[in-house]
Amino acid sequence: MDYAIETDNLTKNFGSLTAVNKLNLKVQKNTIHGFLGPNGAGKTTTIKILVGLLKPTSGSVKVLGQEVHVDQADSRLNIGYMPELPRFPKHLKGAELLDVYGRMYGMTQQERAEQIPKLIESVGLKGRENDLIGKYSKGMQQRIGIAQALLNNPELVILDEPSIGLDPVGMVEVRELMKTISKEGVTVFLSSHLLFEVEQICDHVTIINKGSVLASDTLQNISGALGPAMMHIELANLSNEVIAAVKKLPFVSGTWKTGSTLYIQVTTYDDVRAQVSKEVTGAGGVIVGMSQKTSNLEDIFIQLVSKDKGEKPQ
Amino acid sequence: MTAMQQATGTRPSWFTRFWAIVRYEMLWNIRKKKFIGVIIVAFVFATLGLVLPSILSSTTGTAITADPNFAITYGATSFGFFLFALATAMNSISSEFESGTIVPLLTKPVSRTMVFLGKLFAAFVIILVSYVILFTYTTVGSIFVYGPQNNLQLVPLVLLGNLISTFIWVSILLAMGSLTKNTIITVLVALGLFLSLFIAIPIVSVFAGPSQSLNYLPGSGAGGSMLVGNTTMTINTGTDNLGVNLVNYVLYPSGNVTFSKIDLSAIQAGQTTLPTTGVLYTEPISLIALRALGVAFAYIFVFLFIAWIALKRSEIME
Repeated sequence: MDYAIETDNLTKNFGSLTAVNKLNLKVQKNTIHGFLGPNGAGKTTTIKILVGLLKPTSGSVKVLGQEVHVDQADSRLNIGYMPELPRFPKHLKGAELLDVYGRMYGMTQQERAEQIPKLIESVGLKGRENDLIGKYSKGMQQRIGIAQALLNNPELVILDEPSIGLDPVGMVEVRELMKTISKEGVTVFLSSHLLFEVEQICDHVTIINKGSVLASDTLQNISGALGPAMMHIELANLSNEVIAAVKKLPFVSGTWKTGSTLYIQVTTYDDVRAQVSKEVTGAGGVIVGMSQKTSNLEDIFIQLVSKDKGEKPQ
Repeated sequence: MTAMQQATGTRPSWFTRFWAIVRYEMLWNIRKKKFIGVIIVAFVFATLGLVLPSILSSTTGTAITADPNFAITYGATSFGFFLFALATAMNSISSEFESGTIVPLLTKPVSRTMVFLGKLFAAFVIILVSYVILFTYTTVGSIFVYGPQNNLQLVPLVLLGNLISTFIWVSILLAMGSLTKNTIITVLVALGLFLSLFIAIPIVSVFAGPSQSLNYLPGSGAGGSMLVGNTTMTINTGTDNLGVNLVNYVLYPSGNVTFSKIDLSAIQAGQTTLPTTGVLYTEPISLIALRALGVAFAYIFVFLFIAWIALKRSEIME
């Protein structure tokens, strides 16, 4: 299979700290691939290796079929990249920035003249393109960051937290833009903390923690792994007796906890809150809040990361 | 949102990408307040150099002495070289790291060598253009103030010498910026080095005499004198005087410079000339000019190499 991104035992150490640990990542072409992980999981380090900013300690990386090495200019010709909280030279105007970057991609004057106004409009900066970037708000810098990532009509777009700093309208616009470019055959690799955003637009997801892959599959397969529904119970005091009582219920296929919240994986679409409540109360638990909903990416994420932290399912 | 176009695309040439970096850097330089400030200061000093004798002559009632060599001996000072270098190169590399703009830049299809050479070339063009304007201004001004000028064809040689002298500091600043990635440390180290040399060289000259070691440090170098006809010219051998010494070499190719040590024990109150211990050694002007050129190129090469290697090997953590 043709992959847009393929890493083989990718490892990056910073002194004694292992930021990326034998990471094996495969991103299929023409997909929107979400890249998730808690803070410090190694997402940004991985992305910086993918775009040639950092040299891996060991392992290899292929992007669009080419081995990636630090300072290999040509390997970035077909990649668009937006860093987390991008910073651009304050002395340049928005349109000037895109023009000078366009020249670096070897775009002709005509190509720049056609592409830049379209992108300015696409990211909602029309009318502000001739202002100095130093006068841009955080959200506007984010928008020009997205524009420069799409400037060369890349085959692969790597976006590191593209929604940070955007207002709700901007977030929706960016999601729509990603869907649009994906339909045109562009592979989008998206790192985000906003799980609902990933759930809305991604068709594939990779979850990492401590620099290693915890899960990587289609969103459908990953979501299906947890069963049809999840219950969240927030307790005043979560005891082992409560967990043991809940586990006896026939429709409970798994439980795990984060702090005083108990997550229960259930195998039925029926509303079973009353039965669970009865068992919890009977075991001495005091319920502060309770909900039952269809399993989502957040549940998977919490389960996998909790498990990886040593908070094993009960 | 509008639909994107189809992929652009052929591989751009090395020169196309290099020129884009030059453009990126020049747009920054011409908008830098520091650089505009230095240009204004340079023009103010050049104007004072031209106008002050006129003002003084009108107040004292004495006519200005015609000086047909003013244009070819009037170059920037050591501090001028340092200021131009500082304004152009002090944060050329370090601020890219400090502000985080290095990340989007190095993820474009440009190599670090292209970025380095583009920044260097932009600094060269900016300083060259500034010096051309400044030298044109002082040359035309000197004709008005000091009368017809001799050897005007040698003015570009003075300019070239001054450009090389400035580039010693440009290369030191780029090396420091690339190594430390911090503008404040870069400026402090370069300023410390400049002031140390600025203060140390005259002190060494007075107490130890015109030592040969002074010829190999950036700055004014050793002081000597050259007899041209009935006139004794003061010659300083260092890299800061490269432009003037290249002109002296062209005008007086067989000239010899004598070096003497000041006799501190023989100094008495009311003396108009300082006593010396006699001639220590002599050197031809050709050796002085070409050695300064070699020393300047050696410094430029070494520091630019350090700057390039440091940038090549940088891990982009921003």
